[in-house]
Amino acid sequence: MSLLTNNHLKSTVALAYLQSVTDPEIGLNIVDLGLVYELNFNEAEKLIRCVMTLTTQFCPMGESITTDARETLKTGFPEYAVELELTFDPPWNHEMISADGREFLNER
Amino acid sequence: MFSTTGNAAMAKTTSYKVVLPFYLYAAIAFLIATFLLVVSAGSITSHYFQPHTLAIIHIMALGWGTMIILGASHQLVPVLIEGELYSNKLALLSFFLAALGIPLLSYGFYVFNPGWPAQAGAVLIIVAIVFFLINLAVSMAKSKHENVHAFFIFTSALWLLATAVVGLLLLCNFTEAVLPKSSLDYLPLHAHMGIAGWFLLLITGVGSRLIPMFLISKYSNKKILWLIYGLINAGLLAFVFLFLYSSSRTLLIIPLLAVTAAVLLFGYFCCQAYKQRIRKKTDQPMNISLLSVLMMLLPVIFLVIIVFLLSRSAVENVRLVIAYGFIIFFGWITAIILGMTFKTLPFIIWNKVHHHLTGKEKTPNPKDLFNNTVFKWMSAAYISGFVLFVSGILCNSTIVLQAAAFLLLLTSLLYNWNVIKLLTYKPVAK
Repeated sequence: MSLLTNNHLKSTVALAYLQSVTDPEIGLNIVDLGLVYELNFNEAEKLIRCVMTLTTQFCPMGESITTDARETLKTGFPEYAVELELTFDPPWNHEMISADGREFLNER
Repeated sequence: MFSTTGNAAMAKTTSYKVVLPFYLYAAIAFLIATFLLVVSAGSITSHYFQPHTLAIIHIMALGWGTMIILGASHQLVPVLIEGELYSNKLALLSFFLAALGIPLLSYGFYVFNPGWPAQAGAVLIIVAIVFFLINLAVSMAKSKHENVHAFFIFTSALWLLATAVVGLLLLCNFTEAVLPKSSLDYLPLHAHMGIAGWFLLLITGVGSRLIPMFLISKYSNKKILWLIYGLINAGLLAFVFLFLYSSSRTLLIIPLLAVTAAVLLFGYFCCQAYKQRIRKKTDQPMNISLLSVLMMLLPVIFLVIIVFLLSRSAVENVRLVIAYGFIIFFGWITAIILGMTFKTLPFIIWNKVHHHLTGKEKTPNPKDLFNNTVFKWMSAAYISGFVLFVSGILCNSTIVLQAAAFLLLLTSLLYNWNVIKLLTYKPVAK
């Protein structure tokens, strides 16, 4: 699933930041895991809207992962407010893992 | 696209305050059971219906197996039923009642006094199970998601309740004749309701969710899971019926075949999940958990031999029956607990300690919160102790049994070492 965005340049930077957020159980970052669905930059309101999912809806680590993602975006873009939305439609599946992510999991 | 702002779409996980007491209690129970095994190793092969053996079995089945499964279930209910746990207070009440009831019952067996301490213990355990069932039923009703794993867990809890009620009747039957036959005659019924109805049904139900999840496997097969569910329940109901209303021992092959088929199908399910995993390397706790799936075959093989011998002779082979019981409680059930403890507890502790630090500072990996070297030594002591003990029972060798019991005591000490390390974990001050 490709990322939806209205600003490719800034979303590339945001994804680079989000690559530091890992799922503690899997050890893989949330970008390569395919958890980030959408990144929108509202320049008028200085607001980043990040739509993401979790590997399972009642993931015990879910709150930690989303908090980490929100804080990381705030650190990377201090002039923006961050609105993080959690969605389970479509639900996450293994096909969403990137090629780099698969390689990482193959080696671990 | 359905979406919910913030964390509203993510239900609260069960509080660690509810879950951790179960883990600590189970670890201590395992230590006590292995200590009693060392003390009783010399007399273990005399007969399975003797005070020390009954006490050890009940500490293992209730204090170790059931308590940790109840704790993990409270933690995993949101994942399994896709909804929140109804009540943390009810979960804690279950814990305190069971925590009080299990020592009373076990003490009653140890001194072979089926009177008030044991009976009061059994009643407390029954009430604890009822509270667990209520908590589970309301959680499931509120979740509104139809989920095969939820059916496994709820039905297994019903079987646990039935097992405990039959157990109480057997206890009362010692002091006053409430049943037509002696309590010893009903022992296979009580034992198999607990083994297949509670442990097998629950472990297959929870395992079929957790094993693919931890392996990051693409494999999913609801049809097989429903078939396993049907086979275990049908086999067990057939066993109860045949046990109570038929004198033919040959017919017992029917429930045995059903449960064997269920175990083989679960093995196939786990094998497919393993083959289709995305994460290629498996860690030590996962390896022990997968080993436990293989170990499920051992009791089935022993049971086939026991039933076959029973169909040819009225006299049962006591040592085979003792080995069968040992393989279940110290083998399959213990192996999956040893593995899954360190796949679940580190995450509960990590969430407890590091939850508020995420995104603010670098946090360690949950798997780094326990000592992996101690885990490896624990696994080695466990596997060698288990193999030796089974050999000791079959060869009737006291020296082998004592050596094996010491190895299993060492296993429980190392297990407790890592559990205490996790429970007392504090982040390094910066």
